[in-house]
Amino acid sequence: MRSLLRRLPIETYVISFTVALWIALSLATPNFLTESNISNMMRQTSIAAIVAIGVMCTIVIAGIDLSVGSVVAFCGVLFAQMCAHGLALPLAALITLAAGLLVGATNAFAIGRLGIPAFIVTLAGLQVYRGLALLLSGGMTVGGLPPSVKDFARGTTILPNLFWAMLAVGVAVHYLLRYTRTGRYLYAMGSNAEATRRQGINTFRITMVAYVLSSSLAALAGILLVSRLSIASPSMANAYELQAIAAAVVGGASLFGGRGTVLGAVVGAVLFTTMSNAAVLLSVDPFWEMVLEGLLIALVVYLDNLQKRRQSGG
Amino acid sequence: MTRKTILAASLAAFTLLGAGAAQAEDTIAVIVKATTSEYWQWVFKGAEDAGKQLGIKVDKLGTPKDDAAGQIAVLESAAGSKPAAIVISPTIFEALGDPIAAVTDAGIPVIVIDSGAKTDKYAAFLTTNNEAGGKAAADAVAQCIKERTGKVAGKVGYLTAMAGHESLDSRDKGFIDGIKAYPDLQLVGNRVANNEEAEGMSLTADMITKDPDLVGLFADNAQMGTGAGASIAEQKLGSKFCLVAFDSDAGEVEHLKDGSIYALVIQDPYMMGFGGVWYGYAAAHGARLPKNVDTGVGTVTKANMDDPKYAGLLDVKKRALSPYLGN
Repeated sequence: MRSLLRRLPIETYVISFTVALWIALSLATPNFLTESNISNMMRQTSIAAIVAIGVMCTIVIAGIDLSVGSVVAFCGVLFAQMCAHGLALPLAALITLAAGLLVGATNAFAIGRLGIPAFIVTLAGLQVYRGLALLLSGGMTVGGLPPSVKDFARGTTILPNLFWAMLAVGVAVHYLLRYTRTGRYLYAMGSNAEATRRQGINTFRITMVAYVLSSSLAALAGILLVSRLSIASPSMANAYELQAIAAAVVGGASLFGGRGTVLGAVVGAVLFTTMSNAAVLLSVDPFWEMVLEGLLIALVVYLDNLQKRRQSGG
Repeated sequence: MTRKTILAASLAAFTLLGAGAAQAEDTIAVIVKATTSEYWQWVFKGAEDAGKQLGIKVDKLGTPKDDAAGQIAVLESAAGSKPAAIVISPTIFEALGDPIAAVTDAGIPVIVIDSGAKTDKYAAFLTTNNEAGGKAAADAVAQCIKERTGKVAGKVGYLTAMAGHESLDSRDKGFIDGIKAYPDLQLVGNRVANNEEAEGMSLTADMITKDPDLVGLFADNAQMGTGAGASIAEQKLGSKFCLVAFDSDAGEVEHLKDGSIYALVIQDPYMMGFGGVWYGYAAAHGARLPKNVDTGVGTVTKANMDDPKYAGLLDVKKRALSPYLGN
């Protein structure tokens, strides 16, 4: 029994903890388990989870993407400016996604071909794309968008549309990671890049896949955030990269590479949404909420390391 | 030899730079809190217009996000180029006090705008009376509740953009005091966001979940107003809920139009920039200035938003110079 517990992936514990938190909250307050609160939480989680899924892919190959928050803002502003200037919605969305793709390709090129560490490349991106978001918006909030922009994020098709968007992204990336050769190479490269290269696998292509996914999903998140807020602000999505990394890590991704799942990243995002929801419902001081979230990240990573050490020791 | 050449060249360059700095008498540096916010862009617009009228150069400076240490560095380097005057909006009351006093002592007049600093060594202070603004918000919330339910009663809350900011703290204090004037209004909640629209949006939804009978909310800056407005629109509560927010950026004006926001308490950032530069110019030429100037607040609802008196305050492009609002 004990060895079974030890072998369970860390996601299992995080899911159990989240479910336990839900049960405790539904007992503690009558307002938690209501239709409106659940659909609110679905909307609140979705965008963060989409960003987290992308960042998780870069963590799997032992990389990191610190630029996603700024890319969300840059792509959001780009999308809003195009809509405000009368471009058709699908076309604006397509161009925005293409811009995200280009950002990812640039990152991958700098990392894979120029050999600059991912940390530095994406840290530079964090500044560059925030700057571009400001330039593109003149430092002002971009408003006056056609009403159709808002329809998607506000809409519900049995469940909130945003939740469906997250589900579609999640299923697609899960399929890529689990059931394709590219997916297996991503994990292989994260475990041992040198060995993967010696097997004749094109690691530059794998790097490209990871960073393009991360930036494109950030671009998608930018579009969804604009749809949700009905404006684009160059200062939005501040520090989303840290939230995304935290969600991925709490969901079992290892910053040393080779590990991480879509389910884990989503559960991580759900857990953080639940915690901030709980903080309001239970009137927890917002400053304590930050402390608790930080401690949770440290605890999960500690437990994960402990488990790994035991596994390799036993 | 080469090294000497480089040395000589850089010396020459520095001399040239020095010559450039000599013309700085015709420059006024305007340092805002955060260059990334629309509000501060309006301050810059006012400052630029004043610069054009006066025929002087206006340097638009500041850090992208609220950052006290960064702002002190900007202030010190601006002072180093010896401008005619400096107009600054201090990020943190305590932190900017001594640096501003040091600039004044160095002989450069400082005009403080928008938020105070812990010093009295400045030429003039142009600001919104934020406490009065908070009180105006409380009155607007009360009026809205009365219009919609016939009596002024129920639970209300407020949303703070960031902790520890003098101007925001004053607004919140004004709001809390203002609500006390209505004995049947009960203040039940306050949340602090990370000055992020999406977070303000989530917190608004969560506050309404916690207190389903919440009838009113005060959002204390543009980011919170935009986020809270989006949340009310998403939940289609516009006709039932009484949301009042500070400032007037594009997102807030949109929600004022669609009914998600009942009223906006607006300040006059354009006039802070415009007046700040004029005052700086006057101070540099030895004029004696009033120490404190109230740039005024106004309450705009959907009913009066097309009033020409407010049009230029809601949209700086429609700005026609007018006397200080409310004074």
